[in-house]
Parts: sequence; C-alpha cells; structure tokens
Amino acid sequence: MEVVLAFVIGGLYAAGLFMMMRRSMVKVIMGLALLGYASNLLIFTVGRLTRGSSPLIPADAAQPAAPFADPLPQALILTAIVIGFGVQAFALVLFKRTYQSVGTDDLDSIRATEKS
Amino acid sequence: MVTAIMSGYALSLAAPAVHRVVRRWSGWIIALLPAGLFAYFLSLVGRVAGGEVIVASYEWFPSLGYNLTFYFDGLSLLFALIVTGIGTLVIVYAGSYLAGDPWLGRFYAIVLIFMASMLGVVIADNLIALFVFWELTSISSYLLIGYKFDKAASRAAALQALLVTGGGGLALLAGLLLLGLISGSWEISALFGEAEAIQAHHLYLPALLLILAGAFTKSAQFPFHFWLPGAMEAPAPVSAYLHSATMVKAGVFLLARLSPALGGTDEWTALVTSAGAVTMFLGGFLAWKQTDLKRILAYSTVSTLGTLVLLLGIGSSIAVKGAAVLLLAHAMYKGSLFLMAGGLDHETGTRDITAMGGLARSMPVSMLAASLAALSMAGLPPLVGFISKEVLYEATLEDAVWPALITAVAVAGNVFVVAAAGLVAIKPFWGEWVETPKHPHEGPVGLWLGPVLLAGLGLFVGLAPGVVSHDLIAPAASAVLQKETTVKLALWHGINPMLVLSVITVGLGVAAYVWRERLGNRLNILDPGSRFGPARIYQEAVDGLPRFATAVTSVLQSGYLRLYLTTIVVVTVGLVGFTLASRVDAGGMWRTPDVRIYEILVAGMILAGALGVTLMRSRMASVAALGTVGYGIALLYVLFSAPDLAMTQFAIETLTVLLFVFVIYRLPKYATLTSRRDRVRDAVVALLAGAMMTTLVLIVTAEPLRSRLTPYFAENSLPLGKGRNIVNVILVDFRAFDTLGEITVLSVAAIGVYALMKLRLGQAGDEES
Amino acid sequence: MFQVPSLSDLNVAAALPAVVLALGACVFLVVDLFVPRERKHITAWLTAGGLSVSLVLALLSLTDVVTFGDGEEAFFGMYIADQFTDMVNVIVLVTSLLGVMVAYNYLDRTNMQRGEYYYLLLFTTAGVMFMGAAGDLVVVFVALELLSIPLYILTGFRRPQEQSEESAMKYFLLGAFSSAFLVYGLALVYGATGTSNLREIWQAVDSMVAGDTSAQFLLLTGAGLSLVGLGFKVAAVPFHMWTPDVYQGAPTSVVAYMSVAAKVGGFAALLRVLVAGMPNFMLDNGTSAAWMDVTWLLAAATMIVGNFIAIVQSDLKRLLAYSSIAHAGYILIGVAAAGVPRVADEATQAVLIYLMAYAFTNVGAFSVIIAVERDDASNTGLSSMRGLARTQPLLAAAMAVFMLSLTGIPLTAGFVGKWFVFKAAIAADLIPVAVIGVLTSVLSAYYYLRIVWMMYFEDGDGEAATPRPLAWAIGISAIGTLVFGFLPYLLSDMAREITLAFGG
Repeated sequence: MEVVLAFVIGGLYAAGLFMMMRRSMVKVIMGLALLGYASNLLIFTVGRLTRGSSPLIPADAAQPAAPFADPLPQALILTAIVIGFGVQAFALVLFKRTYQSVGTDDLDSIRATEKS
Repeated sequence: MVTAIMSGYALSLAAPAVHRVVRRWSGWIIALLPAGLFAYFLSLVGRVAGGEVIVASYEWFPSLGYNLTFYFDGLSLLFALIVTGIGTLVIVYAGSYLAGDPWLGRFYAIVLIFMASMLGVVIADNLIALFVFWELTSISSYLLIGYKFDKAASRAAALQALLVTGGGGLALLAGLLLLGLISGSWEISALFGEAEAIQAHHLYLPALLLILAGAFTKSAQFPFHFWLPGAMEAPAPVSAYLHSATMVKAGVFLLARLSPALGGTDEWTALVTSAGAVTMFLGGFLAWKQTDLKRILAYSTVSTLGTLVLLLGIGSSIAVKGAAVLLLAHAMYKGSLFLMAGGLDHETGTRDITAMGGLARSMPVSMLAASLAALSMAGLPPLVGFISKEVLYEATLEDAVWPALITAVAVAGNVFVVAAAGLVAIKPFWGEWVETPKHPHEGPVGLWLGPVLLAGLGLFVGLAPGVVSHDLIAPAASAVLQKETTVKLALWHGINPMLVLSVITVGLGVAAYVWRERLGNRLNILDPGSRFGPARIYQEAVDGLPRFATAVTSVLQSGYLRLYLTTIVVVTVGLVGFTLASRVDAGGMWRTPDVRIYEILVAGMILAGALGVTLMRSRMASVAALGTVGYGIALLYVLFSAPDLAMTQFAIETLTVLLFVFVIYRLPKYATLTSRRDRVRDAVVALLAGAMMTTLVLIVTAEPLRSRLTPYFAENSLPLGKGRNIVNVILVDFRAFDTLGEITVLSVAAIGVYALMKLRLGQAGDEES
Repeated sequence: MFQVPSLSDLNVAAALPAVVLALGACVFLVVDLFVPRERKHITAWLTAGGLSVSLVLALLSLTDVVTFGDGEEAFFGMYIADQFTDMVNVIVLVTSLLGVMVAYNYLDRTNMQRGEYYYLLLFTTAGVMFMGAAGDLVVVFVALELLSIPLYILTGFRRPQEQSEESAMKYFLLGAFSSAFLVYGLALVYGATGTSNLREIWQAVDSMVAGDTSAQFLLLTGAGLSLVGLGFKVAAVPFHMWTPDVYQGAPTSVVAYMSVAAKVGGFAALLRVLVAGMPNFMLDNGTSAAWMDVTWLLAAATMIVGNFIAIVQSDLKRLLAYSSIAHAGYILIGVAAAGVPRVADEATQAVLIYLMAYAFTNVGAFSVIIAVERDDASNTGLSSMRGLARTQPLLAAAMAVFMLSLTGIPLTAGFVGKWFVFKAAIAADLIPVAVIGVLTSVLSAYYYLRIVWMMYFEDGDGEAATPRPLAWAIGISAIGTLVFGFLPYLLSDMAREITLAFGG
C-alpha cells in the first residue's frame, strides 16, 4: 500500500504546488491546505502503515500486541494537524482583511512595495 | 610608543575646535604635535642606530593570544621620521594653502588621523593591528581626496582610490590571515625566524599573492597604478603628504617589513621585481607625457614607487640600501615639488605647464626650491638624488638574474624621470612670460617654507651623506636584511659603470625633454594601457556594476509571489533530482503493492479531490473538493490504525471547510488570471515536484523502518504514563514540551485572528468618529 | 535513558530563562486586557521588565555564575540548556529589548499602540529561544511556527496601509510554504534514522552502514529540505525574495526586530539540526559533513546576490533588506565551516559572535531609519540621509558607526564578526568562499559608505526626531558596536566554551 500512497502523496504535492502558483489568493490558501495534507500523509507513510492494530494497550495487558502501528509519527502528525489548522485559520482571516482593503483576490495587483 | 599614536587621534578630535579658536595660526599650532613627535623619534636615533629594537606590548585579546605589540627598529624609525617630519611641514603649509576654507578644521582632523594611523602601520608588530592601521590610512586618504566634495571628479577619484586600496587591503587581510595560520603567530617579529617553514608551506604562494595584492594596490604598482594620478584631485598638501611621501609607501614598507619572512624565493623575486620594473618604466613614461603639473609629479611618483619595489625584489644588500636612500631622497624632493606645485596653482590659478612661463621673476623663492628639488629628482650631483641613483644602478648591475635587462629598464625609466623633472622646474619658471588666470606673486611664508626646507635638506644630505648613512640608512637596511649592515654613501666614487650610466641617463633625459613634442605621439605604442588598460577596466566595472545589478534585480525580484515560489520549487527539485540521479540506484524501489480494493478507492477519492481543487471554476465547488481530500485522508487514518488522527482530522476538516465557506461565500467566481502557457508551465513544475516526492517516499518505504523510540514508548506507556492509548501518552507525557509549544502556537494564531478582526473594528470605529 | 516522568524530572529549571519569558508573555496577555488603550506604556514597561529578567537569567547562566536545574537536558531531551542556548538567549533578548525601545514612540506616533504588539514580540522571542534549545526535530518545527506566526501578524500591523498588508500576505504565504519544506525535511530525516531526537539522530548516523545509499540519500535530502525551510527564515538566496518586499512594507520597528531575531532563530536551528544532529554524516569516507558543500554554495550565492542588488537600491529599508540577505551569506559561511569536525566548535562560536555583533549593528541602523521616517511611513529614501550630520550630528555619527560595522571596517563589531567567520572558513579549507566573502565586502562598501557620504558631505533637510527610548536604543546599539569592536575578546570570551557536539 505504501506504493499507492507514494503516488497519492506525489499527486497532493503536485496539486498543492500548482495551486500555490496561482494568482488568486483563495487558490493559494487552498494550495497551502493541500500541502499540509501531503506532509501529514508523508510522515504517516514514512512511519510505515499497519492495518487494523492501533497503538492501544488492551485492558488486560501491559504492552500492545505486536505488530501495532507506530505511535510516534501519529503523535507528530497530531501536532502538525493542529498547527496546520491554526495557520489555515490565520490565512483565511488575513485574506479577508486584505480583500477588504484591496478589493481584489488577485495577488499580482498587490505589488505596492515594488512600485516605489 | 602607543602614546605617539594616540596623541594623533586625540588631537584630531580637538583639531576643529583648535582651529575655531586660533583661526589664522591654526596650522602653526597644530603642527606642534607632529613636530614634537619628530623630535621624539629623532631622540631615539641613537638607541636604534646602536642596534636596539624598542618593543612595547599591551594586552588586547588575551584569551586568543593576540596582543597589541609594537616593534620599533631602523625601518620604523626611517618611516616615522618621514611621516612626522613631512607631516609638520604639510600642516603648516595647509594652514596657508587652505586659509579661509570652511572645512579646514576637519581637514586637520583627518590629516592627523592619517598621520597617527601611518605611524601605527610602521610600528605595529601585530599583523592585525597592522591591517587595522592600514585600512585607516585608506579611509583617511578617501576622505582627503574627496575633500572638495562638491566636485564630481573629486568624489569619483576618492571612490576609485578607496575601492582599489581598500580592496587590496582586504586581500591583504586574507593574506595576513593565511600567514598567521601558517606560522601560528600573529607577531611580525616572530615570523622572521620561521622564514623557511613559511616558504615551504603549501599555502605560501596564496598568502604571498594576497599580500602582494595589498602592497601593490597601496603603492600604485602596475596594474593598479591608475588610482594615484586620479587622487591628484586632492588639495596639494594631501598629494605631497599621502600620495607621495607616506601613504603610498606603505606598500613598500610592507614588502620591506615582510621580506625577511617571505622574500628570497623565486616567486617573490619574479613577481616583485617584474611589477617594480614595469611600474618604474611606465610611470616615468606617462609622467613625461603629461602637461598637468600634479599629474607629472604623480606619475613620476609611480615610477619611484616602482623603483623601490624593484629594489626590494632584487633583495640584495646593496639593493635594500638603495631603497632606503631613495625613500629618503624621494620624500625630500617630491614633497618639496608637490608643495611648490600647490603654491603655483594657488598663485597662478592653473596647473597646466603649457599655460605658464617666466615665473622666475615673480616667484624667485619657489623657483629656487623647485630647481633644487628637480635637480635631485633628475639625479644630478651634488644632491641626494644623485647618490640614490648611483646606488640603484649598482644594485641593478649586480642583479643575480638579468642584470642587463633590469639595468636597461631602470635607465629607460630614469630618462623619462629626468625629462619630467625638467618639465616641472624649467617650463613654468623660464622662457617667455605667459599670462595666467591670477596675477602671481610669492605666497606667504607658510607656502614656501616647506618646499624650501625640504629642497635644502636634499642638498645638505647630498653634500654630507654621512649624517644619514650610519644613523638612518644603515639601521633601516639592517632591519630589512635582518643582519648588521654598514652603509657608506659618497658623492664621488671615481669613474665607474654607475657614473657612466648616470651620465647617459641625464644625456638622454635632456634629449627627451627637448624633443618631447616631436617624440610624444610616436612613442604612444609604449603605453597600450591608455586604450584598454586597467583604468578602463575599472571604469567599465564601476559603470557596469549598477547596470548589472539592475538587470539582476529585474530578473530575481519581480515582486510576483508565484514567481518566487516557482524559483524555490525549481531550485529544490533540481538539487534533489540531481542528487537522486547521481546517488540512488532506482532498481530496488519498485515492488508489487499489497493493496485492498477499498484502499484503492480511498486513494482514488483523494486524488480526484485534489484534481478537482485545481480544476473547479466555482469557489464553492473547489472548497467541496478540498473537503473530499481531507475526509479521504481521515479515512486512510482509520484504515491504517490511527484512530486519534482520524478523529482529529474529521473535526478539523469540518472546521476548515466551514471557515472557507464563511470567508469566501460572497466572492465572485474565479477569474481566469493566467494564460494557458503559464498554467502549463506551472503544471509541469508542480508535477515534477510531485514526482520527486513520490520517488522519495518509494525510497523511504523500500526498507523497514528501524524505529528507535517506539519499543520504548510501547513498554513504558502504561507503567510510566499510566495510559493505554500510546499516542495520547506520548503527547501528554513523553513529549509534553511539544504539546505545550503546539498549544502556544495555536493560541498565537488565535491572537492573530483576534487582532486582525479587532483592528478592522477599530478602524471602522475610527472612520465613523 | 529516561526517568519516571514527574515534574522534577522534567528539569524545568534548566529552561528557566525561556520559561520565565513564555509565562511572562501569557501573563501580560491577560494583564493587557485591563490596561486602557491610552496607557499602553504600562504593557511596554512590563514587557521590557520581563525581557530584562530573562536576560539577566540568561547572562548568569552563560557566564556560569548560576547553573539552573540539573544537567543540560530538560523535558526528556527536547530542550537542551547548554552554553549555546544561553548565548542564543542573550542575543535574542538583547534584540527584543532594543526592539521594545524602538517601538514605543513609533507605535504612538503611527497610531499603532496596542498591547498585542508587545506580547506578540515576546512570543516570537520565546520561539527563537526554543529554537536555540531544540533537542528534537519536532521542537524545531513547533518553535519555528511559534517564531513565525507572531511575525506574520506584526508585519501586517500597520493598517489600513496597503504596503503593510501586502508584506504580511507575502511573508505569510511564503513562510507557510517554507515551513512545509521544513516539515518534509524533518520527515525524511526521521525516515532515514527512525528518530526525531537530535542526539539519537547523531547516534543513528554513526551506526549508519556506509553502503546504505538510500538511507544516505534520504538523510541528505532531508537535510537539504530543512536547509530550504530554515534558509527562508534567514533570507538565504534563492529563498530570499520575500525579504525586500516585507522589510519595505512592514512597520520599521518590526523590521528592526525581525531582521535580527528571525536570523538568530533560523541559524540557531540550522546549527542544532546540522552541526549537533549530523556532523558525522559523511559521504564516501569524506572528511567533512555531506551538507557542507551545498551550504557553502548557498553562502556564496547569498553574498553575491545580496550585495549586488543592494547597490542599486534607493530606499533605505530595501537597501538594508538586501544587506541583511548579504549578511545571511556571511553567517552561512560559518555554518558551512562547521561541517569540518575539527573546526565545528570554532565555526559555531564564530556564527554566534557574528550574530551578536549583527544584532547591535542592524537594530541600530533600523532605529536610525525610524528616527527619520515620517508618520506616514515616507521619507525612507536614501536622500533622507542627506545633511543629517549637520542637523543631527550624534544620530549621523551613530549611523556612520553602523554603516562601518556593516561593511566590516576594523574597530567595529562587524569586523570582529567577519574576522571570526572568515578565520573559521579558512581553517576549514573553504578559502574560495572566504575570498568571495572578502570581495563582496568590498562591494558592500560601495553602498554603505555612500550613506555615510550623504550624511556628511551632501546638503539636505536632515529631518529626524529621536524621542527618549528610541535615542537610548540607538545609543546602546552604537556603544555596543564600538565596544565589541574595540574589545573583541568580550565576544570571544563569551562564546569560548560553546560546543554543539553531543557526548563531548
């Protein structure tokens, strides 16, 4: 399955990057979101996939039964998801503010610092 | 020793104030300091001539073993006397020459800074201290050349001089650094004993080249000679002091100082001798072609500097003595001539020798000084210049490699110098009276005191060379040669090859003077530099730099965010792709996937969602597609045993979609903003990056992971963390620090959101009120 | 390896300076709610107080007067409290203190005086401190976000003003993008070594089989991508493009602070990841770390591009932006030199010394711009420097000191920094890069000295205002620049015992 996920990750990166190169700010933010998914999935896959055995310790045991999914990358991803959400929310609000003052969604139209 | 230097800096701070108080006599007052220092150094003559080296050391950088040490030997003494002696005369002179100038106070200050720094150069023992003082002289020179800062030519010349000498200075720094690393010592005096080890080291040549670059730029050696004539934009006292007597000799000083450690090798001899020879000849020739009084003197100075470097390149005992004599002689005659030239400029309003003539009657004292100095410059007896020329020929004739060639070059260079001396001393004063912009008459005492004194000194030393030979020249030569040396100087040695050469030189020189006009254009071939020489290269570089920089800017700094992104992606993909291609064998990557059909479906759903995001024309539809991707990933987490992630992902995804909808639901449809071609280009770049990531993942997953922590967490989760969900235990116990950080980040983001919202409200409020 | 986790075993005390600051930030956040808007100087003072306390603690720890906590590792090796951490803390705390001083009047007169400004500044500072102390890749990532997000907000602080919003937008988008790179890089490093803890990465690299090319490649790519992510933060070419736009658009007080703080954080993290985590990562039995080549290439490109483009700038803030890019290049030389094991400590110290010198000089230079800038953010062109020596002799003298220091003229702190960095480079046999460094320094004289020239030799209005805390900041920066220039051993003594090596 890692092979398939490798292509999913590649596809998400490609889509994310393509979106980030657009002129519309909304698209750029979506690109950012796609890149976030891709990187979470990357960590997940790098930590190897395990079907149907969560890193939970059964009630009657002191250790999980092997093989179990690697808990460490999961913990990392959890961190990344949460931070990613914070960034995403901030991005949207920042966009809204910019849109209100500039009146356009087009990144190319905000090049004020270049003109001077 | 350090007091001598510091007093210069101290007075420079006070100089503008002093000038404001005493105005008229400020030059005389301020000159008391260099005069006092001159007397002080003179008082050391006995000790130094007796072979003593005066050393002083101060802690500077104790932990790393750098100390501020000073080393005062015969070489330092000779230079220190020139620096303070000429300094005294120049300051007095400047008081009259620049009388009434609004910036005179500042002028004194900079000259004093220069003087102190130059003293620092000649008595520093520490390589770094030497460099620091060296650069300070460059900077003060920059400020002094640009003294008339309202003139564009002045500013350009100042910058040129700074770039050339400052750049050379940095090369010097690199060279000194290498030297320090090679020898393990930062004291020059400690280098002398290690000459063999240094010269055998594989970094010797780079170090030598860098140090020579520093010395050659400073001392205006070919091909860096062009800045010195440009520096003639400076007021006459500056030219006399910095650009003739002292600063430009710093390079010569450095060569002399380091020659015991670096000299004597084939590389040294070849590089130093040839640079000196070429400079000597070229300088003389160019001097002869000028009509501007100061430029003639400048180029003849270049020639002299070349001679000095040549002598140090030869490096024999007699050559070093010759260098010491020439140094002294040149300081006297050229200082005098520069000051005299300034006087002429001041009184007549021009510096063009074709625009003056017959001034001997109205300016007899200047005429006298100029004649004496020029005779010395031409190398005629009984002046000191004659003695120095005799020694020079003796040294070239004894050169170990190519005595004939070197001697021929020396004679040729000197022929032009003789002619140039004629141009300076005969043209303006004799012949027919030529009307000049100002009505000339002899200037105030400050203006002619310096030239007369220096020229007179040249005559005196020429007649009685014994006064300097033992006390000044011999100690200086001993310091360079690092062995006891005796020097005997005399005007008359009987008829010998040197005398014959001198006679030939003067004869040809007179001829060159007389037939200057007729010969001038035919000899242009000797100076290919005027058309495509170093000066031209410098000019092109200086002009080209801003043009080039603008071009680079427009390419790299377009202001378009997406082009920035594209650059980053392309660079990264390129680098990674290159390493990938060169390092990894792709064979083992591919293997038959072990997949279930529903997994394929989820993967397909994610990819379809991603594709949808890129293609949808409606904002809402693309947000929906984005949601599909997110939920698909959550499903993957479910399938592969990560229930916590799945729950978080579902929750967050829902919130994200809601946020998107909240922000964009009133926005119009996407406009088509980019051309088809741009989209295709971006798609190609994006797909390449995607392919790179896929390959990376395939490589990672080709082998099982050797996780180092997971077993630990699994074993200790329950006993230490008291929890059965290992992910949770990791987050709240083992990695509590990240989680704390994560919460902080989230709260900061929340503050950001809040701040942005609040600002908007505040602003709306402001508008209403 | 680990002990039973209880609060005392976390060894929180070892992280005291950072903890004090982070807690302070949280407390001020609450306190600020009760401070009325026209009395925000209370928040400013509180912030400065918090920073000072933390600075004193960090200094005590750096000079070994007091040792906090017990051992160097806190939070199970996630936080490393060694001399490196202490020095990073001192640098960034000094920067923040100056940052608060320069901001106070500026915010008042540009109508931006809000409490958020100060505690966001504190959060960023805490982020930098965590980066310097990171013992784990995840901490690097979290700290990077903690450092970045407040900066995104601060760059857009001046509203409604298009330039400020634009710069915030650009900075944010590119920043989020490059953080993504960092995450990929860290993920690959994890994939190659099976751990995210730096000490264990170091051990894993040691035991890595020489012929295992795919693991080597992954580690190399991981290191490379981390370099991209952090290269963005420190403004290294070709990840520098945001710098001029952001510096020009953002409020100058923010730029004064971020131009140094973000660099300190980025370089601290870079050193931790590369020099502490994988100094022993060598390919084909080489004698230097595998990441060294690409690092010095970046350094060379950064110095060249930064200095060249700076020449044609006509706006002071843009000019200093390119200058800051160029300086990132000089510091990168030090990072590259640390790739040679025997030079690693010397090079690490050189980088810190450079950063310390740069902190004083660069904050100082931007403070002078604040002094000449008008309330509507205009008058930041080069021409605003004309005639400054006549109207404001002290201000002009300070600016001259800063410019000389940025050029690297002896007897200024800038020279000391360059000296150590070049020396490390030569010791690491990176002579070509050192030569490029020297040559581009010459080039930089062209634009730095032009400013000095304009102040002293050209006529102009020379309008400027230096109210109290701003004047202090300029004075402190100038004195710092000169003191470190005249007494370089102050800096080298401070850094003398710093090492990043584990187990050494």
